[in-house]
Amino acid sequence: MIEKLQSLWPEITLLTAACVVMITGQSASAAVRRLSWSICAAALIAAGLLAYSTTAASGHALPHMAMYGKIVTCVVGLLLLLMVAGIADRAYEAEVARGKTVFDAIRATRGEFYAFFMFSLTGLMLCFGADDLVWLFLALELVSLPTYIMVATSTSKNASMEAGVKYFFLGALGAATFLYGFALIYGATGATNLVQIHSAFAAQIAAGGLNTIGIVGLILAVVGVSFKIAAVPMHFYTPDVYQGASASVSAFLAFVPKSAGFATIILLLSTVGWLPSSDYPSGALPMPVHAVLWVMAVVTMTVGNVLALLQTSVKRTLAYSSIAHSGYMLVGVIAGPGKGDDFASSGIAAVLFYLLVYGVTNVGTFAVVAAMQRQNRDGTHSEADRIEDLRGMCATNPMMGWTMVICSASLLGLPPLLGFFGKLPLFSAGISGGHIGLVVILGLNSAIAAFYYLRLAAYPLLESPDMAARTSNPITQVPVTGRWLAGVLSVVGVIALAIWPVTSAAKFGATYKTKVAVPGGQVAQGK
Amino acid sequence: MNPMDLAVSSAEGAGMLGGMPAFAGATLMHYLVVSAAMFVIGLIGFLTRRNLIVMFLCTELMFQAAGIALIAFGRFHMNHSGESFVIFVLTVAAAEAALALALVVLLFRRKETLDGTAWKELKG
Repeated sequence: MIEKLQSLWPEITLLTAACVVMITGQSASAAVRRLSWSICAAALIAAGLLAYSTTAASGHALPHMAMYGKIVTCVVGLLLLLMVAGIADRAYEAEVARGKTVFDAIRATRGEFYAFFMFSLTGLMLCFGADDLVWLFLALELVSLPTYIMVATSTSKNASMEAGVKYFFLGALGAATFLYGFALIYGATGATNLVQIHSAFAAQIAAGGLNTIGIVGLILAVVGVSFKIAAVPMHFYTPDVYQGASASVSAFLAFVPKSAGFATIILLLSTVGWLPSSDYPSGALPMPVHAVLWVMAVVTMTVGNVLALLQTSVKRTLAYSSIAHSGYMLVGVIAGPGKGDDFASSGIAAVLFYLLVYGVTNVGTFAVVAAMQRQNRDGTHSEADRIEDLRGMCATNPMMGWTMVICSASLLGLPPLLGFFGKLPLFSAGISGGHIGLVVILGLNSAIAAFYYLRLAAYPLLESPDMAARTSNPITQVPVTGRWLAGVLSVVGVIALAIWPVTSAAKFGATYKTKVAVPGGQVAQGK
Repeated sequence: MNPMDLAVSSAEGAGMLGGMPAFAGATLMHYLVVSAAMFVIGLIGFLTRRNLIVMFLCTELMFQAAGIALIAFGRFHMNHSGESFVIFVLTVAAAEAALALALVVLLFRRKETLDGTAWKELKG
């Protein structure tokens, strides 16, 4: 018990910070209110260090994933924290500062906003460390519930509320579906502990095959969680919600619930394991689960990429690209941990690495939208969300323009950038697992994706600025330091993390193996 | 979903099915059918109705369907994991209800209607 609590120090840190900022955000003193942001940043840094030094609770099915996941949560969480700076109460605080109104704690939303941000990240960490179905369910809900409010309150526009409600209702449907799946898994095995579920399933496989209820439960759970990762069949909300929410919150949605979903899927599927068969000598999931995931992966990436081609809004394009990336990552899930312990053949390691790659790169693209504003005819400002607004940005605003170019090139997977090193292991894991058809579809989809990613990169780089539109609706940078800084740091990450594995590939592979590699042998040996 | 599969595969469960005097005649299957029916009714309601409150009630119905399944399985396996799971499910459902009603009130104030189709700004 004590040992389990000790493994939760990072979560406890974040939770404490969430409770503290709820109070400081309501303070009568403006200096204390401004502290909220720094408290969150300090807590994230502390949690990252704690995650690095605490050991995982013994008996966990995937002990190294928890540690890796928590550190990634803190790193990407810090980037996201930079981006959400200035979302809550910006206009209201300006009024207060000008002496137009007196600060009223009831009207302020800053405290809640940062608290919900931290609660959601706490949930993500708990997901990575989960060892029980009850825990997993509560962690997933802790990830989701705060995000519904973050979406609805991220701007004062009607569109944000519509997005919030859509997100909430589909989220509740997804939650009910995976909860029913969890109930059936419990029914088939008589246990809620993942390790005990694993041994119950192993006994069933040894006795001649998995229980039907167990298989139905696993499928329902995966379908329900597909809401979190924005995969078919629960992807419909994605473009609307990403467009309706503020760009900073959209970036949050593209990383946090998606990572939680993939952590859940990996943990659930590790209970049945990737078993060697005649078709897939290095292991595949039980046939019905494999088939469902296969269809999900193929349809998800194709739908995401094809519909992204038709969009004129940057955020909608990125939303469909987020759907497509989930499809790519499902290929890694299907490939499984592989036979050996090496990085190149382990699909699970590829997925975990891809979460970091996608998280870091995606922040950059959304940061450009969040950092730029277009002045409307009536003097109000709106996000520079149309692809037209990117035209010639490398000339007018080189910093943000190049951020967009480099990050979309990385999302596309151009070789010298981080995105390439993220996608490569997915391909190699798929091939070494024998899933050739899937890998071919993955390759074709990457080619389709080139059309819209190159459009995102070519508009700022190659087009010249439209001067007529610029004088009537000038596009300026939002005076919030955190937003452009998040974009620049994301570019630094995209380049630095890409150079690092190239120069010390051998070392990288080795550390990755000890820290992240799934105990594939252990999963497969039970059978 | 044949409950006999379960009875065969779960050794301790097989003996317990007969040991349910309080539920004479009602077997695991009965509970599962009720729970599956509730889940499907909730799903159909969610997909066909457009009133925000009714849609929310449908998701609640689906949550409680899972709750019934959990309790029935808990009795079947003779452990308390299912029942303790349900306590947590109820807590989360209550939190979700608070959130849903707050959101619905927020929307109602803007447009004075509970019809979900009144909101269609986001398209493309």
